[in-house]
Amino acid sequence: MKIIIHLGTGGVGKTSVAAATALKLARSGVRTLILTTDPSYRLRTALRLENALLEQQVPLEGATGQLWAALLDVRATLDEAVRLHAKADKQEKILQHPIYATIASSLAGMQELMAVERIDQLMRRGYDTIVVDTAPSRHALDLIDKPLHFAALSAARRVKLVGRTYKFVEALGLTTIGRNALDVYKRAEEMLGANLVRQVLDFYSLFFPVAEGYSERAKKTVEILRNPLVTEFRIVSTPAKVLRDATFFVDELATRGISPEKICVNRAWLHQDTKEPRTGVQGEILDWYYAVSDSHREAIDEVRAKLGNRVGEILVFNELERDVDGLDALEKIASQIK
Amino acid sequence: MGKTTLSLALGLRYGKQGRKVVLVTSHPLPELALSVSLAGLSSRFPAAAKNLFVVHLDPRELIAELVHKHFPMPIVARAVLNSAIFGNLVDVAPGLKEFFFLGRMQQLAERKREAAAESADYDYLIWDAPASGHFLSTLRAGRSFETYLTGPLAAAGADLNRFFSNRDNITILPVTPLEDMAVTETLEMTKELSEVFQLPAKAVLVNSVSPVCTASGEDLAQLSTANPSPAFRFALDRGLMEREMAAALRNMIPAPHVLVPRITRWENDLDLLAQLAGSLDIPGLELHSTP
Repeated sequence: MKIIIHLGTGGVGKTSVAAATALKLARSGVRTLILTTDPSYRLRTALRLENALLEQQVPLEGATGQLWAALLDVRATLDEAVRLHAKADKQEKILQHPIYATIASSLAGMQELMAVERIDQLMRRGYDTIVVDTAPSRHALDLIDKPLHFAALSAARRVKLVGRTYKFVEALGLTTIGRNALDVYKRAEEMLGANLVRQVLDFYSLFFPVAEGYSERAKKTVEILRNPLVTEFRIVSTPAKVLRDATFFVDELATRGISPEKICVNRAWLHQDTKEPRTGVQGEILDWYYAVSDSHREAIDEVRAKLGNRVGEILVFNELERDVDGLDALEKIASQIK
Repeated sequence: MGKTTLSLALGLRYGKQGRKVVLVTSHPLPELALSVSLAGLSSRFPAAAKNLFVVHLDPRELIAELVHKHFPMPIVARAVLNSAIFGNLVDVAPGLKEFFFLGRMQQLAERKREAAAESADYDYLIWDAPASGHFLSTLRAGRSFETYLTGPLAAAGADLNRFFSNRDNITILPVTPLEDMAVTETLEMTKELSEVFQLPAKAVLVNSVSPVCTASGEDLAQLSTANPSPAFRFALDRGLMEREMAAALRNMIPAPHVLVPRITRWENDLDLLAQLAGSLDIPGLELHSTP
């Protein structure tokens, strides 16, 4: 099995590049799954993503492989984890808890934690390749860092705190509680408000069994994501941002012992190699096109010169006349992959 | 889609007009917060250099500040900040970081308003806000604190919610290129801003438009579309699609639409910003009295 992870900042077309990559693989005989975060309505229709928890097959005429698509729906994945891993009598308490509602709806953070959970679910279903389109996250590599951080927190031994009713400490990663720690906790209550602190702690004591099971799975999954024999990282960007973005991601990945396989430069304007003679209004439009095109060519040459030796390959995708809004557009992008 | 660049260009425009500008960025990746650089500002635009201040607000630092206030002894404050309990509490409390960020924005905004005209700290407070979904969840932070909590934080949440649901305090300028997904997202965001927060868009900044999009009907009629080259076909098709999108956007959002052309040649980042600043004439936002 192979996993291909796409990284990139917002608005560069990660989803389209990831979906086109999956399509190309399916056409070449691979049983492929694309796992995507909230795509546009039309892409969702093209990929037949109607149910947030199910994988759905995308019918492809004449393909030797198969294309499947799955959605990363944070709320649905989290609800499912609660149903699977919390005790029956605690499930409703967790699902109805006010902190749960805000946690589940605040995308920050949960997205990465649930992506790993979802990858874990999907790895057992017998796909040859899983293509992942990540959400632009708070930190570049939260997908890998956050679950490990969370696992470290919940791995701490459970400790009963005498004289306090909260069972929260277990969830907060305290192995011993000293006088100082208690003092800090009390001050935190003063600063952040006792109510908020208690709600958080109360929630985490309920949520702990779910978190514990999650951590076990997450650690194993992240190991797989870090294994270069299984997982390939690709950086997606656009010509204007590619040098900056790619340098940042290549460096960040390097500190985690990962070297990315590809840089995908999306939305390039390299539709034509030679400039034609031009006059009139038509000429003005062409002048404008070539000016943009030249700047893209320079940016791509620069990224090749500076990062070419640190990644396996630099792929360039030309921008389409119309936006990606279905299987046809994905086919057009996919046809640009050698 | 170009929010940071246009925020800087707008700051530069008002700075050049002699207005004091504070620009707040809150990009989740501080390393990438400024996608363009202001290098060379003081030699090329000395007036703007004096007037333009760019700050990156990191909610973690705001929370650290609060700790330092509560524990005046630095050694104690550091101990609290380094303690696992405190770090984890801050990490897991949903919306806490957004809450502190909004609090600071409110403070900055009120400082701007209270100061008398002649001694005002600044004339414009520009917020380079996070992308649409995260911007809305940041605004919702005040509301959730009001709804789910009691006590002082709930009161502060209600206060923030009131402040950020008042169009006298905050002017919304959505930025979008004429692309399908971006336009859809912008429409959804402006709808929620106006229905839930009573913050209708003041103007829409339509970014990176092509000459085909701004061409007159006459000029378009002159174009010969027989045997187009790949370059021309792309430029024309894309431009026509932009025209359709621009018309749809105008129908949906009743506010002035400012077309910002795609800049094709620039010497350095500052030059790019200066060119963009020239097209950012946003109706109703310029201060006309002499500074």
